[in-house]
Amino acid sequence: MIDDLGIKAAFASITGQALLKALLVVVIASLITVAVQKVLPRVAEKLGGKPRLYLLASVPLLRLLIILATIVIVVPILVEPSFENMVAIFGALALALGFAFKDYANSLIAGIVTLYEMPYRPGDWIEVDGQYGQVRAINTRAAEIITPDDTIVIIPHNKLWNSLIANGNDGTDNLMCVADFHLEANHDVSQVRDLLRDIAFTSPRTKTWQPVLVIVFNKPWGMHYRLKAYPFDPKDQFQFISELTARGSAELARQGVKFVSAPVSVN
Amino acid sequence: MKDKTNDNTADSCLPGGLIPADQWALPQTSVRRSLKDAIRHALKQLRAGVSQAEEPFESMDELPELSAAQQRRLAPEPDYSHQAEAIACSLRQARSEGSLSREVVCLVAPPFSGVAQALARFSAPEKPDSIARDGEKWRIIAPPKTLSFNDHEAGEWWDKQDLSRPWVIPELADFWLRSLSGLALVKELFRRIANGNTGAGIVGSSSWCWRYWGHYLENAQMSPWTPAPMEAERLGIWFTYLASGKSDSPVVARMTGDGLYVLPCPETDEAENDKKSKKRKYSTFLRDLAATSRGNPGVALAIWQRALRARPDDDAKLEEAEDKAHKHSEAADCWVVPLGRLSLPNMPQSKEGVTGFILHGLLLHNGLDAESLEIVTGVSTYELSLVLSRLKRAELVSCDQLDGRWQVTPIGYPTVRRHLQSWGFPLDQF
Repeated sequence: MIDDLGIKAAFASITGQALLKALLVVVIASLITVAVQKVLPRVAEKLGGKPRLYLLASVPLLRLLIILATIVIVVPILVEPSFENMVAIFGALALALGFAFKDYANSLIAGIVTLYEMPYRPGDWIEVDGQYGQVRAINTRAAEIITPDDTIVIIPHNKLWNSLIANGNDGTDNLMCVADFHLEANHDVSQVRDLLRDIAFTSPRTKTWQPVLVIVFNKPWGMHYRLKAYPFDPKDQFQFISELTARGSAELARQGVKFVSAPVSVN
Repeated sequence: MKDKTNDNTADSCLPGGLIPADQWALPQTSVRRSLKDAIRHALKQLRAGVSQAEEPFESMDELPELSAAQQRRLAPEPDYSHQAEAIACSLRQARSEGSLSREVVCLVAPPFSGVAQALARFSAPEKPDSIARDGEKWRIIAPPKTLSFNDHEAGEWWDKQDLSRPWVIPELADFWLRSLSGLALVKELFRRIANGNTGAGIVGSSSWCWRYWGHYLENAQMSPWTPAPMEAERLGIWFTYLASGKSDSPVVARMTGDGLYVLPCPETDEAENDKKSKKRKYSTFLRDLAATSRGNPGVALAIWQRALRARPDDDAKLEEAEDKAHKHSEAADCWVVPLGRLSLPNMPQSKEGVTGFILHGLLLHNGLDAESLEIVTGVSTYELSLVLSRLKRAELVSCDQLDGRWQVTPIGYPTVRRHLQSWGFPLDQF
């Protein structure tokens, strides 16, 4: 089988010296990759704002470039880069991956597609299969997200093929936050809407140039208000929602608007 | 003849006059300088936490800075009553040309532009003729002591103000606080203006405050006016005017490094018809200064004051020169340090969120006392005092000893604005 593919012939010319050389290139490439993965996120943290997002997004892309460059350098060191040899090597590789590491290869390919389509980037806030968190790293096989409860969740890239991925900020620093208020009926809806809008506008964390919206739904148990606004920093989203909720609740109570004590579920 | 003199003064103390705010454009600089500034800013951010330098301003040459007397002569603070005349003159001109038809004019300017100080002098008794409109004097509307009002109380407060005869609000930022009960006065004012319930008036506003209210009142179309940006040429005219006053001898300023001329500006030279002066080579200092200060006269003046140098024995000579009515000499009155050798105040290392809230709050309200700042930012008293003292050491903010009001400093404004931009805070349009 190996003879038929020409693998034996392709690797016949490999010498010990060539192997050492290739190993050296791989080690150097690995060191550069590690350096890129460690240094760039630290620099990005210092910068803040859009430069931070761009720098974080460039990490997996740089890693892919380093891997490709390593392959381009290593293969000619080990074998003569003729058409037959290339077909033989990549054919064998495809067979091995296809049979032995199907899922792994699937994730690797999805990882490359991820870098191209960018459904999520480092720094994005995403939800996949009910897990919500910030993308901490995009590795070769899987992405790491860190949840608000400081738990790391590993998400294989092959989820890309068949899962719904919700991205809150999509590579930007604009992440909409929603504070919910469940109020008893029989109050001045317009006044409450104005009040909630003012709550958002007077928060020092609000991006005032982004829309501030107050949506209201009439429910059988009362009125459901949703105050939507954008915080300066997506990292502050929970603090922001808490602040809006606390200040909104206090002011509504002061105005005599009551909250529903127990929402009734209606089918 | 008298009118012409007045026009010249107006041109010099408000070069470019007033323009519609949407025509304002940032003074241009070279690509090299822009790149250099961007790289320097990025490096400063990266170095935060590495370098613990607390020194706010570092002079990198051995020439002494100007003494108080020298500064009073060469780069004094502007006389705002002249600026008030110039603003009134510009508004009259815009009305006569038909480009301004609204009864209530909004004058928006970045902090330190001097518009608020000038508008506060609109009722000054010594200059009634130039500012008064149709024989009537302008009435300055002062903010109430406390800014907490509900909508009803705000309506009552405005009812007590006489808005039927010409009125001026020098600074809109003094009429509100970013808190639930602090918005009512400004909301009511804009409601009355929109309904046409007021007579002729002028609303002066800091650009930061204006931007906030522009977002809050989405549908308000106030078409504000603003002083023209201080480009290199205008800065030259203005600095010459400040230094020379009404004397005929323009100040001479040259670069310390290469001796290139900064002042007098080329136009003045041509008027002199002097062959020697035509051969003068000019520095790009004013162009770079205009770009660094974003055309803001107050910031440009603060940097200009820091950049001027005198020889140690110049003090006496300058005093002598003041006595001579027609001094004319090729010797420089003062020397100017290149911008690249001046270090503007740096942002100290601290939690960027809290620092940003405080600085943004100060700019939104054009300065606040510690108590109001606490309400506006939600930062605790303890943390507030820590951050403010650190910012004060870095020369980014200062506190008025009389009323305890904290403000961003003109020299620190470019650093503050740039950092707020990096941290994602909403900026003004200037």
